[in-house]
Amino acid sequence: MLRKTIDIVDKNSQPAGRVAVLNTSEKRSDEWSLLLISVGAERDRQAFAQLFKHFAPLLKSFAQANRHQGWFPGLGEDLVQEVMIKVWQKAAGYNPEKASATTWIYTVARNCRIDMLRRKSNTQHLPLENEDYWHEPDEDTPVSLLRQKRSETKVQDSLSQLPKEQDEILRKVYLEGKSHAEASEELGLPLGTVKSRVRLALQKMQILVSPEYQDELSHES
Amino acid sequence: MSHNLSHHPDNVMLVEFSAGTLPTAESICVSAHLHFCEQCRTELLRLDQVGSQLLTEAEPAEIDESLFDTVMAKIDSAEASPKLATAEKVQSFPHSVSKLIKNPQHQPIWKRLSASVDIARFKTGQSEFEVALHRICAGGKTPKHDHSGVEYTVVLKGSFSDERSVYKEGDFLVRQPGDVHQPMGAQNGECICLSALQAPIKLSNPLGFLMKPLLRINPM
Ligand SMILES: [Zn+2]
Repeated sequence: MLRKTIDIVDKNSQPAGRVAVLNTSEKRSDEWSLLLISVGAERDRQAFAQLFKHFAPLLKSFAQANRHQGWFPGLGEDLVQEVMIKVWQKAAGYNPEKASATTWIYTVARNCRIDMLRRKSNTQHLPLENEDYWHEPDEDTPVSLLRQKRSETKVQDSLSQLPKEQDEILRKVYLEGKSHAEASEELGLPLGTVKSRVRLALQKMQILVSPEYQDELSHES
Repeated sequence: MSHNLSHHPDNVMLVEFSAGTLPTAESICVSAHLHFCEQCRTELLRLDQVGSQLLTEAEPAEIDESLFDTVMAKIDSAEASPKLATAEKVQSFPHSVSKLIKNPQHQPIWKRLSASVDIARFKTGQSEFEVALHRICAGGKTPKHDHSGVEYTVVLKGSFSDERSVYKEGDFLVRQPGDVHQPMGAQNGECICLSALQAPIKLSNPLGFLMKPLLRINPM
C-alpha cells in the first residue's frame, strides 16, 4: 500500500512545512485518513478492508442506537452496506484538509441513515437526499489541517469531560436521532434547560465561532 | 415574545442539522444559509466532529463475516454498469435550492402573489411547511402581514428590508407566530428569497380580505 504523506501546515500561525507532533489518538485517526486516500487514489482493496473492519461494527452500532420514526430491525446491516459502498465510491473526493476520515465517514453515515429512515416512513416523493444539504461551495476556504486537527482534539478531549447531564443530551441527539424537543420530553426537562445544557457543552468544546465567542477562542490559541 | 433578530440559524438548528434530525423544510433553509455563511460552516464542521467522536466511542456491534464480501460484490457490479456523468455547473444558488428548481417531478413556476411579489412553490416531500421562492421587485412593497406559524427566510439574491433591519444575501431570518412585518425590496434590484412557512398567514391591512385567498398556503 502506498502511503501518502499529508503536510501538516497551518498557514496562519506555523512556519510552512513544520510538522506538528501528534499524540497517539491523532496518529490513529490519521491512519484512517491515509487508508481512505489510498482507496480513493488507487482503489486499494486492502486499505478498504481495513476501513471496513474498523468502521462496520461502529456503523452498525450507530444504526442500532437510532430510535427515530422509520427504524427497522435490518437497519444496522443495511446501513453498513450503504455507507461502505458510498465510502468506496466517494473516496476520491475525500479531502483530508477539510475533515478527518472518521468525521467524513460520520457525515456519510448520518446522511445515509436519515435517508433510509425517511424512505421507510414517507410515502411522498422526496426530491432531495440528505447529502444534497451538504454541498459546499467551490470557493470555500480550506481549513488548514492543523486548525482542523486542533478543533478535533479539542472536541475529543472536552467531550469526554462533559458533565453527564450535557453528554446524555448530545448522545440522544446524535446517536438516537432525537430533536431537542424530544430529548426534553424524555428527560422530563423544560426545553429551555435542554437548550442551555447543549449550549454550555458547545461552549466547552469551543464549537461556537460567532463574534460573541471570539474572545474565548483567541484566548485559547 | 422573543424576537430572533440574529441573522444565522441558532445553535439548536445547527446541532440538529449536524445530527441529521432537523426536518426537511428547516434543513433546506439551513443548507441555503450555509452556502453563504463561512462562520456557520466552520461551526458545523466542529459539530460533525462531535458526531464523529460519538460514533467512534460506540460499542462495536457484531458484524457477520460475509458482509464484507457482499459489499465488495455490490461495489463490483455497480462499477461494471456505466454511470451518468454528473457535471456540476458553478451555481449561484445553493445546491439544494437548485435541485428543487430542477425537480423533474414538479417544475416550480412563478405565480403572481401581489403587485410586487411572485412566488414559486416547491415540492419537498413534506407538508408541514410551504417551501417556496419569493421574488420581490426592486422597491416593491409587500402587504403588511402577520404569521400564525413560524417562517424561515433566507435571502438568495439582492436584499430587502423591514421595520427592523436590512437583510442581505445569505441572511437567515426566523419570524415567530404573531410577528407583524412588511418587507420591502431594495431599490437597486429584485430580491429573491427562500422561505419555509409553517401555517397560513393572515393579512393585517384593511384590504387583507382581498389578498388572503392568494396567500393561502398550498401544502405540497
Ligand atoms: Zn451563519
